[in-house]
Amino acid sequence: MAHTVTVGDRRVECAPDQSLLDAFLRAGVWMPNSCNQGTCGTCKLRVLDGEVDHRGSPADTLPDEERQAGMALACQASPRCDTVVSSPTASGAVRGTHALRDLVATVLDVEDVARDTRRLLLGLDEPLAFSAGQYVELVVPGSGVRRQYSLANTPEEDKVLELHVRRVPGGVASDAWLFGSVAVGDRVELTGPLGDFHLPDAADDEGEPMACIAGGTGLAPFLGIVRTALQRRPDREIVLYHGVRGAEDLYDVDRLTELAAASPGFRFVPVLSDQPAPSCRAGFPTDAFVEDVPSARGWSGWLCGPPAMVEAGVKAFKRRRMAPRQVHREKFTPADALDTGAAGA
Amino acid sequence: MTITEQPAAATEQRDLSWLDAVTMTELERDPYPVYERLRREAPLAFVPVLGSYVASTAEVCRSIATSPDFEAVITPAGGRTFGHPAIIGVNGDVHADLRSMVEPALQPVEVDRWIDDLVRPIARGFLEQFEDDGHAELVAQYCEPVSVRALGDLLGLKDVSSDQLRDWFHKLNRSFTNAAMDENGEFAHPEGFAEGDAAKAEIRSIVDPLIDRWIVEPDDSAISHWLHDGMPPGRTRDREYIYPTIYVYLLGAMQEPGHGMASTLVGLFSRPEQMEEVVDDPTLIPRAISEGMRWTSPIWSATARISTTPVTVAGVDLPAGTPVILSYGSANHDTGLYEAPTAYDLHRPPLPHLAFGAGNHACAGIYFANHVMRIGLEELFESIPNLERDTREGVEFWGWGFRGPTTLHVTWEV
Repeated sequence: MAHTVTVGDRRVECAPDQSLLDAFLRAGVWMPNSCNQGTCGTCKLRVLDGEVDHRGSPADTLPDEERQAGMALACQASPRCDTVVSSPTASGAVRGTHALRDLVATVLDVEDVARDTRRLLLGLDEPLAFSAGQYVELVVPGSGVRRQYSLANTPEEDKVLELHVRRVPGGVASDAWLFGSVAVGDRVELTGPLGDFHLPDAADDEGEPMACIAGGTGLAPFLGIVRTALQRRPDREIVLYHGVRGAEDLYDVDRLTELAAASPGFRFVPVLSDQPAPSCRAGFPTDAFVEDVPSARGWSGWLCGPPAMVEAGVKAFKRRRMAPRQVHREKFTPADALDTGAAGA
Repeated sequence: MTITEQPAAATEQRDLSWLDAVTMTELERDPYPVYERLRREAPLAFVPVLGSYVASTAEVCRSIATSPDFEAVITPAGGRTFGHPAIIGVNGDVHADLRSMVEPALQPVEVDRWIDDLVRPIARGFLEQFEDDGHAELVAQYCEPVSVRALGDLLGLKDVSSDQLRDWFHKLNRSFTNAAMDENGEFAHPEGFAEGDAAKAEIRSIVDPLIDRWIVEPDDSAISHWLHDGMPPGRTRDREYIYPTIYVYLLGAMQEPGHGMASTLVGLFSRPEQMEEVVDDPTLIPRAISEGMRWTSPIWSATARISTTPVTVAGVDLPAGTPVILSYGSANHDTGLYEAPTAYDLHRPPLPHLAFGAGNHACAGIYFANHVMRIGLEELFESIPNLERDTREGVEFWGWGFRGPTTLHVTWEV
């Protein structure tokens, strides 16, 4: 039996095995959230009345003293009874967003685009509303396991979703399924959109210069973000660094080079960390950014890739004096990205 | 502990002859070793150089600050500097009237209304003067100026320069903490009050004409409200009645948010990974400040209470009329409450500290000061997220009554 969960003046139904966050997002109630793995703490809230089951909440993110003080992770906790919560970081900012939905899609194409890297196109039965940069969760057939993949689409491309997948040897999702049994025509269950790594709404977009650093298949959200930003302002200053291990790991180079040729403010810079090639920058993409950009004051920064790269990116942005509140990071750790190390700085 | 051991231990605790050798200079340079020993051996002890009893542990400080057997008293050097009736040293109706005079402007709902618009442009303005230099001395160029300008504008002293306000609080500070007493209970260095007297004369020459104007033309400045609020129509509070409290503001309230910001920064520089965390996530700034205030409490040992009846505290019998100095800076290093208290640690359990005092004389400006410091650090990290301490320069703390870093040299890539 579902329980009611209340935040502010909004009340939603939440099943006993459903996360609070899931219930809120499905009802169109916005709540800060990012990794949906219990690791980032973005969705922490306070239980004012009632009781929750913390389920998979890790002790690192939600220590005992916080549990005792009534804190909970919305992406992990489920209600045990009718419950009232307050979301401190939302503080009155409960606003509409793209509602979270369960969808079924058809595999339209599976293409090898680089070493151990595939592009997956999924045709949706009905369009999905999302913001450029957000991600979806795919359900691995037969296992119930869910895996998170960023959308490479602009919000207008709402009928065919483009995902980039890197093979993780032995991985249940990538190795066994998306590099194994998957076939065109397969039906796939997915949930989305999720995450806070996305461009602001057009009305809130100040058009500031953007520094984007991608590692491996962390490139995917930038195809959505950069194209959307350039649609809004064709002259916008944007640099996109794509860090990979060697030239064999690069993909979509022509696509991005063409976009750069058509966009006076956009530069695309592939960077190879381990296996240099004559036509490419060598080293780490975060170092290339520091070499190229003397000051990033007033810029926004965007980071998606292995944790070490993201950490180095935050440091690089601050070194060039980007305001920390302007630094955006994809906080979910894709099983794929964990293994690339390609852009690990 | 057995009963037979108790007297021996007590006798041992009472051998405090080592305190005879303690000097003001020693306390001002680094009070922690003396107070660490006091907390261990005699949490309430008579310290000859101060001519006063001193409370050094959290428990004793808190119990005296909130005890019905004590009331406020100003330290002798403080009273000599501020005169009577200063808000920090009075009781009963006068205290209630002075609190009712200062508190309306400091209520959270009131402060929330204007604090951002007041402090953020001030912080931005000072940052613009050096943010592209690649180096700065943050105490003089940022922490103190932001602190005095915010309060100066609030009080109605918009036309008094920040350097002037800084000069005043430095002089009043040295006068207020000229605490050394001789064996006859007289001030050991009476000449040390001269610069405070000169500062007060200067303050009066500037503030008197403003008061003359506010009496006939009230405005929204705090001092104008102090003159008029709660008074019958056509009457104002006497200026001699409010001047001691104006001096309290021009010293402590002007100085301490600057001290708090600077100490927090020095603490964060001692833990580079915590500095990075706070810069990356500005919502941690209030917690960083709270720990900074615990770690080096700006009002380290500047307030006192006096017993109103014979009372026994921490095993010491005090007759009625005995002053006790509350050393909150020491209480906040109490190992009974804090593990490794000398270390700055953003992540220590957030226990309440005594940096803002306790009881009915607890700081009236807690909310205001915390937000001045918060906005100051937010703007600093926003503008210079790559701040580093200039390790070619040391950081020296000074002060027994009031304490903070005297300078803080930093560098960054421009």
